[in-house]
Amino acid sequence: MTTDRILKLGRRLIVASFFVIALTGCWDRLEIEERAVVLGVSIDTASPEAEAEEDEVSHLQGSQPVPSKDMVRVAVQIALPGRIPLGPGESGGGGKGSAGQTVWVVDVVGHSVDDAIMNLQQQISSRLFFGHLRVIVVSEQLAKKGLENVNDYFRRNSEVRRMAWMMVSKGSAKDLMVAAPKLERVPTLYLMSTLDEGIRMGKFPKDYIGIFWSNSSKKGQEGFLPYVEIKKEQNVEVKGLAFFRGSKMVGKSNPLQIAGYLGVKGINPAGYRVFVKLDGAPSTVMTAAAHRSSKIGLRIRNGIPVFSIQIAIDVNLEEKMGDKIHINDPKTLRRIELLQEEGSDKSYKDFLEMTQKLGSDIFGFGEIVRSKQPAFWNRHVKSKERWQEMYKEVEFEVSTSIKIRRIGMKGK
Amino acid sequence: MEPKRHITVIETASILVSTIIGVGVLPLPLFAVNAGDSGAPLITFVAVLFATVGVVLIAVLGMRFPEQTIVQYGETIIGKWPGRLGSLLVIGFFAVLTSLTAREFGEVVVTAVLKKTPVEVTVIVMLLLAALSVRNNLTTFSYIHYFYFPLLLFPALFIVALSLKNADVQNILPIWGNRPVGVTRGIITITALFQGSFILTSVIPHMRRPEYAMRASMVGMLVAGGLYVIIVAATVSVFGAEETKKLLWPTLELAKATSLPANVLERLDAAFLAVWVTAVFTTLLSSYFLTIQSASQLLKLKDHRMFSFFLLPFVFVMAMQPQNIVQMYQIIELVGRIGLFITIAYPAMLLVVSILRKKRGERVDDRSNP
Amino acid sequence: MSTSASLGTFEDKIAYIEGKCGDNGDFSARRFQVFGRYPAALFGFSNMINPEMLNTNVLRPLMYRPLQLDDVDDLPPERLRDVLINDSLFFSQAKIEEAPDRWISGLVHGQSVVVIDGLEGAIVVETRHIEKRGIEQPLTEQVIRGPREGFIEMLGTNLSLIRYRLQTPEFRVHTMEIGRRTHSSVAICHIDGITNPELVNEVKRRLSKIDVDGVLDSGYLEQYIEDNHITPFPQVQYTERPDKVVANLLEGRVAILVDGSPLALIVPTVFSQFYQTVEDYTERFLLMSAIRMARLVALMFSLVFPSLYVSIISFNPELIPTEFAVAVAGGRAGVPFPAVVEVLIMEISMEVLREATIRLPQQVGGALSIVGVLVIGQAAVSAGFASPITVVIIALTTIGSFATPAYNAALALRLLRFPLVIMAGIFGLYGVMIGLILIANHMLSLKSFGIPYLSPLIPGNFQGLKDLLIRGPLWWMKKRPAFLQTIDRDRLGSNTPPEREARNVLDPQKIKNKQER
Repeated sequence: MTTDRILKLGRRLIVASFFVIALTGCWDRLEIEERAVVLGVSIDTASPEAEAEEDEVSHLQGSQPVPSKDMVRVAVQIALPGRIPLGPGESGGGGKGSAGQTVWVVDVVGHSVDDAIMNLQQQISSRLFFGHLRVIVVSEQLAKKGLENVNDYFRRNSEVRRMAWMMVSKGSAKDLMVAAPKLERVPTLYLMSTLDEGIRMGKFPKDYIGIFWSNSSKKGQEGFLPYVEIKKEQNVEVKGLAFFRGSKMVGKSNPLQIAGYLGVKGINPAGYRVFVKLDGAPSTVMTAAAHRSSKIGLRIRNGIPVFSIQIAIDVNLEEKMGDKIHINDPKTLRRIELLQEEGSDKSYKDFLEMTQKLGSDIFGFGEIVRSKQPAFWNRHVKSKERWQEMYKEVEFEVSTSIKIRRIGMKGK
Repeated sequence: MEPKRHITVIETASILVSTIIGVGVLPLPLFAVNAGDSGAPLITFVAVLFATVGVVLIAVLGMRFPEQTIVQYGETIIGKWPGRLGSLLVIGFFAVLTSLTAREFGEVVVTAVLKKTPVEVTVIVMLLLAALSVRNNLTTFSYIHYFYFPLLLFPALFIVALSLKNADVQNILPIWGNRPVGVTRGIITITALFQGSFILTSVIPHMRRPEYAMRASMVGMLVAGGLYVIIVAATVSVFGAEETKKLLWPTLELAKATSLPANVLERLDAAFLAVWVTAVFTTLLSSYFLTIQSASQLLKLKDHRMFSFFLLPFVFVMAMQPQNIVQMYQIIELVGRIGLFITIAYPAMLLVVSILRKKRGERVDDRSNP
Repeated sequence: MSTSASLGTFEDKIAYIEGKCGDNGDFSARRFQVFGRYPAALFGFSNMINPEMLNTNVLRPLMYRPLQLDDVDDLPPERLRDVLINDSLFFSQAKIEEAPDRWISGLVHGQSVVVIDGLEGAIVVETRHIEKRGIEQPLTEQVIRGPREGFIEMLGTNLSLIRYRLQTPEFRVHTMEIGRRTHSSVAICHIDGITNPELVNEVKRRLSKIDVDGVLDSGYLEQYIEDNHITPFPQVQYTERPDKVVANLLEGRVAILVDGSPLALIVPTVFSQFYQTVEDYTERFLLMSAIRMARLVALMFSLVFPSLYVSIISFNPELIPTEFAVAVAGGRAGVPFPAVVEVLIMEISMEVLREATIRLPQQVGGALSIVGVLVIGQAAVSAGFASPITVVIIALTTIGSFATPAYNAALALRLLRFPLVIMAGIFGLYGVMIGLILIANHMLSLKSFGIPYLSPLIPGNFQGLKDLLIRGPLWWMKKRPAFLQTIDRDRLGSNTPPEREARNVLDPQKIKNKQER
């Protein structure tokens, strides 16, 4: 059959042409060592004068309109292949390389994040690769102006992972990029592990960039980010939570208030320690929380949502100052419990009040209203802005119950 | 040579499932939340019910005419030329569906993984894969579906299971949503994702026991629909409705937000997309097979193989028509809505007419191979 | 064709045989007189016959007159014939052949021909004796637990090895000759009452259609009877273990043995057979299930590992942990080639090494493989030719491919990983997946004697799944594989449970009680 033969020929031609196409292909092949693996990005605000620093990469000055926004200064931390040895042992490339040399920090200015990164690419031979971006640091100043641009850029980029950390730094964000902590070979990984370990030790809630985005998007919730500061040994301290309202940072907490957040949300494991003063300074004990649980009830009273928050915390007694008190007495333990309950109640209330004042519902109380009382939500709230207003007026009833479970190896 | 009736009930069900589950799963949660906010799972469930109605119609028709495909009994029921017109519509629609599926997946791959590869290449690769495989006979066709069936169910369930640790039930409450708008539109869009179930029309004449077609289609819809609902519920409960609205392919984003325990693989999006090639392949295979088989039956050709490469250029050119991804999704929604007339209204009409005119296909045993 | 009649006289017959075979140096002809009075001649190829046996059992009785008979003079030809066969020759396999061409074919097979004056036809005596090696351990399929015997080249010995394990009259051997010039005997074995007769007929049909010069090994036949020729996947299994042949016969398959080949063919074959071993069934099921899984992992490794490596390194480095990614980048920093080329070079050199170690004499081979793996790998890394991780990957792949018991299946998968690596180099993970889909679709369309290649997975069969990924306990597998459509389905007697209610005959408590009583 001739048709058969023609078909066969056609088939072969198609297959052959496919192979020709494919073999000329390899469009996306880019070896791992040819990529500039970006591990961390810091974003600072830059003064408008910085425009002079910028070369005309993405736009011609004057001729093309630039966004009216102020300039940003972006610094990236790029891993240097070859400097980080393969496998454990062997103290690294040639021995003399101090930790600062495993990465390379380059900074550049631009009108937007993408603009700055374009400018940066112009200066770096290998293609910037964001697949391993683990930490994004923004300065407090920028966060207060709003992170719309930053959020949009990183959300749109398919390489960026949702499990990266975004944090707000006190002062310049770039300082965190150039910092060289001694514990890890790669500085950014140290930053990251500070927070990851924080989660494991009950010192910080899970707040990856993806979670931050989700929370900021929700109608009845606001996002928050870790607020960090670099210390003099180039170590990093988690100083608290940075509250957002929409994409603007509106305030920050102190470190112990992170415990407040964790307590209200009932997140485990628990890891904070507090002093309980029994009768004056000499008889103070310190307790460590071991397990938290919380129950949030909601009812509507006079058109205002009222949340009753019941927090139960199991604590262990860790330290005692002075020999006066004997903690093998159940009465003493009960007294410690009561005292701590009192203190906790107050601190939770203060914390909630503070967020109310800022109109930043980082706990997602609005989401509770939306899901549990949809009728009320649909009638009175409906939008994010309305909830931000209403959040300032909602009432809280906090009750804490503390239970001491263990007192360590010492009997008294 | 080959026995005519050999496809078992399980195979039929797996053909249905693997045909339905395809590239549509990637944007599915987006469609669902656009329609119903936190009520997205419910919307999906309703859409599954609608789609089931369509499948039931097809199954009933198929059991009425256990020897014939829709192209053949269409002519019997409403006459030669109207029947042919109907078949032509079916063929055209599935050709378009094939091209759009290929294009949609091509776009996903190019956006998410192979950024510099021309979209033409990814599309033609998928189409070639389908065209090569469609040349096998129906036995191999059913084997292929049966073989890939677990490969497509497990990765999806795996991602869902892993993501559950980040899930929050609050996100999918209240289950009917907060005064959602555009529910009908959303339901229609999601129902349109089930159009692959039309493949049942060509499978029934080859089933070992056509009288079990209904059971097979119920199992198929249960699994596919269940998976759809689970995926939507998982995505929305992890991201929340508002965040889901901001994501183009929420299911893919779910894979991105998931890491294997102990960080063996730190993110699963590229791996998930790779595994999802099989799901898209089976969908493409079915719609392409349906197109080609119907076309050859319409032209009364013995062998459907001749068409497989003949049709390829047309499908490819059609796939390249949408200019960008936004336009593509508009077209997909539009085509999906038109498709409902072909995949649900047309069989419904055939069924009604056949009952009124008391037409019925021969019994299975009365007749040897036609 | 000449008949006996056309060769009327004694001398004509001698001339005929001499004409056909006389030119050969190893051909011997000896004239003598039967019972001292009838002229006769003995022919044979001297190296193929057992001279001792010929002398004592053929020549001597023919020359001396039989003791029990007094008068052997002037016997009429018919009587002579009877006396010779019934009274003189003490030889079980001797017969009178009329057709001269049978004499010749007998001669080349190693039989001896005796022509006697006045006798119609000639006496053909089975005196074949061919040097053979002893029965040894099967080298390619060694087991720790199980029989140690392997097939040798002689068909007769091989058949005896099978029959010795299968002592039933239902074991049937059908022999035929294939090869226009080699006239190799081929034995088709099956068990009557188990194997589907259609299958046996089809095997016979396919074999009988082969018209070829010579068959030197069972591999020749394999290529003629398989269903699909253009595929890397073997559709016929070969083995040199008699116990494996018997096990397969009992499942309802057909075995084909060829004289001169120590490898038996087993048809029909499905893919799962290639990763199963005899040992799977002799050892405890839990352990062997785990080991079978390990073998499957190795199988998958040998197919996809290099391509996954290439696609992750060159396309999706975001998948692996950051620390590792950075380290890998460091390891690769000095390598001048892209990962695809690097992997391909290393793979090809590995194949070269592997092939070389097979061909080299044994004493050298061991040394070379060590040199090859250790030194070349190390040198390649320190020369900046390959990154250490690539070497690890290639080593894993190569070792993995040896874990597959069937050499031909392992070879198929090893071959297929090259296109996969190339696909990975073009499209990354997407390409690997496309390649795997093509391979899977191809396997799904393969058939061996009508049985889908991936049975019992596709089409699904619950009974078959018990012996697919895991090796179920023997008492679970009550039926023979369903896809073989055997006549007798049951393998197990209905009430052969494993010992469930064990009688504790030696329970120390009981014994103590007894003693005290």
